[in-house]
Amino acid sequence: MMNLDEIFVTRNWVGKSVRRDEDIRLIKGEAAYVDDLDMDCAHVAFLRSVYAHARITKIDTSKAEALPGVIAVVTGPEVAKQTKPIVARAITQPAIQYVMADKKVRYVGEPLVAVAAVDRYIAEDALELIDVEYEPLPVVVEIADALKKDSPLIFEEAGSNVLLHDTLEHGNMDAAYQEADLVVKEHFRVHRYSSTPLETWAMIAKHEKGNDSFVVWANDQQPGRSTANVCNTLGIPNNRFRLIVPDSGGGFGIKLAIWPHIVILCLLAKKVDKPVKWVQTRREHLLGGSHAPDCDVEIELPMKKDGKILGLFIKDIENDGSFVHTAGIYGLIKFATMVGCYDIRATRAELLSVVTQKGPTVQNRGVGKPTMIFVLERMMDIAAKKLGLDPVEIRFRNFIQPKQMPYTTPSGEIYESGNYPECLQKALSLSGYDELKKRQIEMRKNGKYIGLGISAGIEPGTSNLGYYYTSRGVPEYMGNAEGAIVSIDYDGNVNVVMGSVDQGQGHATTISQVIADMLDIHPERVSVDSHLDSLVSPFLGHSGAYSNKFNDVDLGAVIMATKKVRDKMVRIASHVLGVETGGLQVKNGAVCSRKDEQKSVSFQEIASLAYKKILLLPEGVEPGLKEIAYYKNPMAKLPSRDDFNVQITHSNSVHVVAVEVDVETGEITFLKYVIVHDCGKQLNPGIVEGMTIGSTVHGIGAALLEEFVYDENGQPLSASFMDYMKPLAGGLPRIELAHMESPCPYTLLGTKAVGEGGAIGSVAAVANAVEDALSPFQVKVVSLPITPQKVVKAVKETKEI
Amino acid sequence: MHRVQARINGKDYEHEVEARLLLVHYIREKARLTGTHVGCDTGNCGACTILYNGKPVKSCMLLAVQANRAEITTVEGLAGNGLHPVQEAFLNRFAVQCGYCTPGMLLSASSLLESNAAPSEAEIREALEGNMCMCTGYQQIVDAIKYAAETMRASTGKSL
Ligand code: FES
Ligand code: FES
Repeated sequence: MMNLDEIFVTRNWVGKSVRRDEDIRLIKGEAAYVDDLDMDCAHVAFLRSVYAHARITKIDTSKAEALPGVIAVVTGPEVAKQTKPIVARAITQPAIQYVMADKKVRYVGEPLVAVAAVDRYIAEDALELIDVEYEPLPVVVEIADALKKDSPLIFEEAGSNVLLHDTLEHGNMDAAYQEADLVVKEHFRVHRYSSTPLETWAMIAKHEKGNDSFVVWANDQQPGRSTANVCNTLGIPNNRFRLIVPDSGGGFGIKLAIWPHIVILCLLAKKVDKPVKWVQTRREHLLGGSHAPDCDVEIELPMKKDGKILGLFIKDIENDGSFVHTAGIYGLIKFATMVGCYDIRATRAELLSVVTQKGPTVQNRGVGKPTMIFVLERMMDIAAKKLGLDPVEIRFRNFIQPKQMPYTTPSGEIYESGNYPECLQKALSLSGYDELKKRQIEMRKNGKYIGLGISAGIEPGTSNLGYYYTSRGVPEYMGNAEGAIVSIDYDGNVNVVMGSVDQGQGHATTISQVIADMLDIHPERVSVDSHLDSLVSPFLGHSGAYSNKFNDVDLGAVIMATKKVRDKMVRIASHVLGVETGGLQVKNGAVCSRKDEQKSVSFQEIASLAYKKILLLPEGVEPGLKEIAYYKNPMAKLPSRDDFNVQITHSNSVHVVAVEVDVETGEITFLKYVIVHDCGKQLNPGIVEGMTIGSTVHGIGAALLEEFVYDENGQPLSASFMDYMKPLAGGLPRIELAHMESPCPYTLLGTKAVGEGGAIGSVAAVANAVEDALSPFQVKVVSLPITPQKVVKAVKETKEI
Repeated sequence: MHRVQARINGKDYEHEVEARLLLVHYIREKARLTGTHVGCDTGNCGACTILYNGKPVKSCMLLAVQANRAEITTVEGLAGNGLHPVQEAFLNRFAVQCGYCTPGMLLSASSLLESNAAPSEAEIREALEGNMCMCTGYQQIVDAIKYAAETMRASTGKSL
């Protein structure tokens, strides 16, 4: 943390729930999402595979091309000829996949043909006229099928359906097993789900025929990496591709890898004289618009009788479906914070990424941490039961203590600050835990089953992108950073351009609060352009919105750029006022003498020198008042298997949940939901609250409702919101939220991650509560989602959910 | 082709449309009012909610031809120049994140408050059953609607 006095000249805005004035456009219906842009476009529709696994023997598009209104068509084999295969980030086995199906299809929904027509209706009509012949191949749907010795291969060149298999060991696990009084073991299965942003993927591509270059408008969440990937895949120089990101209707990670579709649109645009537009349908989104992988986790805790955990083993198998780009990353991220909030000194993680005929996976909100905390926090309850300990007590006995901070986990993750015991204590008292316990006993007598669930979780932020060390000796990306441009205009107002993008997180307001306190002006005088243009925005390979990096490196860049501008203004003011820079201060939108505030020059006057009366500038000072800065978090370690931090900040939270389970119908009703959250310094509590609650509801949906279901032929059965159930306003608890504040020593403002934490803690807390409610029936929860059908069946027969 | 004459936000529109054109596409592409969004096209998400002859409906579930001689309000027409109290409340209560659900939410909310000036939390949540929000978890939206109801009652002098 920097000395805040060096950053701020006032403390009027940071830390307050300043209203998000960027919302005015949104509430008036004046937002400009990709589909709203007023451009004369051709409209694109995709023909997608109806088989999960098949060889393509023929694609005939002649009838479609002859349909009046159809402008252009591209097919998978054609695209494959013009592009490089999709770049893989983490897997170690060779697996060649193109952005469109080439010789065979590997999942239902894989793009095969793209058609551009005068309107979307005609483009869809044309799809009906395309003749594709398939030769069906045997399918692999579930993890167990993929691992069979004689399993059909999805990528023949890989020689296996396992594309990554690695074991990472830190600390002495053998000793942990030897010293243990017992080893608690369990096997969990977590389903596929997704945070499904309400706006689906959308993009417009325009080919400039004159210089053979492309301009693309897309709701891309990670433009830094996408720009590189599109250019490499198309084999074009960087300066032939420009990416513009307008308003975006939610992201949650699901828009991090839309770039393969950008590649297709670019190739189609080459054949068309106007821009081509594709807006994904919800069906397309649910089929192949990326999911969190389903996974299979075996876990072992060697422990002492008193509840002390000596080591942690996981064997984590991720079903990454059929998308080689992101396959394998869930395990690597999950492993980094596998010890959760606990002082566990030895870990072993065996990580496998398997391919199957399910749809692509991508980094969904929390990326593996919701599952890791689910299995770990379930284990705490299971171990407590085994040892006859209270679930609260076993957590207290294992927590990392505040005096151990900063705490380095066996693999090298640095937990910078936090007070985990106090966080739990606070959550217990806020929820009236003891009272709820009493009520539970009372109600059971009346045949009503309520259960209490606790989860304590870590919410990491700011990925150190070097974590793909598994496959790449020297990974392409390392560390994390972001860029910002801050300028003062003629009127002395501030304009900001970012390298990152916004999908609804309120970045503009938070940035304006920070700058307002750095320059002693009203936040209304700060305009933030949250749209990105790769040609003008300060841009890095890391640029984008993911892993909660905003509060760290994005704001770091804003602060550094604002400081540069401020220093320059002070230098000009010193010249104008004849006062040494040390004798000056920034006050109320002006620079004035500390001794005599009458001696003052406003930002506007300084700007008029910088932009217009440039001959009056001091010697050696350049005209203009626009500064660019890039800020990287200094704590990121170099890639290493022995000592590495996958993430750089670590918020934490405790969720306490009370549910009532109707054992006849399986219905689950919430009675209480309390979160105590520690994300370090909060810059805008209103925004933090919204993100925390929204994220928690994602976890509740994942725990109870949402699931991508496939039949044995790999056919998806949940391709609309009628079958893929999302949480609605009714049926959700009122979430009570309280905060603690352990500033992060390694970010400029003491901030940590915000945004994913709710989704991480809630899954485990809800599952623990349901198991507790059903304890009279000896039901164990080892899988998700917890649907009413499963509850009823478990109570009556299986004893297992 | 069919001729459609619709009154949207008090303004008259007239177009030749294909029978299969969805009303939501008519509003967005022909009338160029892009505040009405598409989140699913199966009638589940409510992003396309409009007021159709005063009642909230999902415009992806109607055809453009059904708008003939209908009176339609979209988010752009919810307030005159200023903001409707519900819009004001959404702004003040952090009820917006990405804003994609917001137009539909605002129309459902304003129509609820027309018929029920003092809804309970449960009534508000029920009225939002047809509107999905993927960002907020609904809580701040519910609170904003409650707050809007209060300010609307205060300004009309109605007390309960
Ligand atoms: S777009 Fe009409 S309900 Fe979703
Ligand atoms: S604010 Fe994003 S969907 Fe509601």
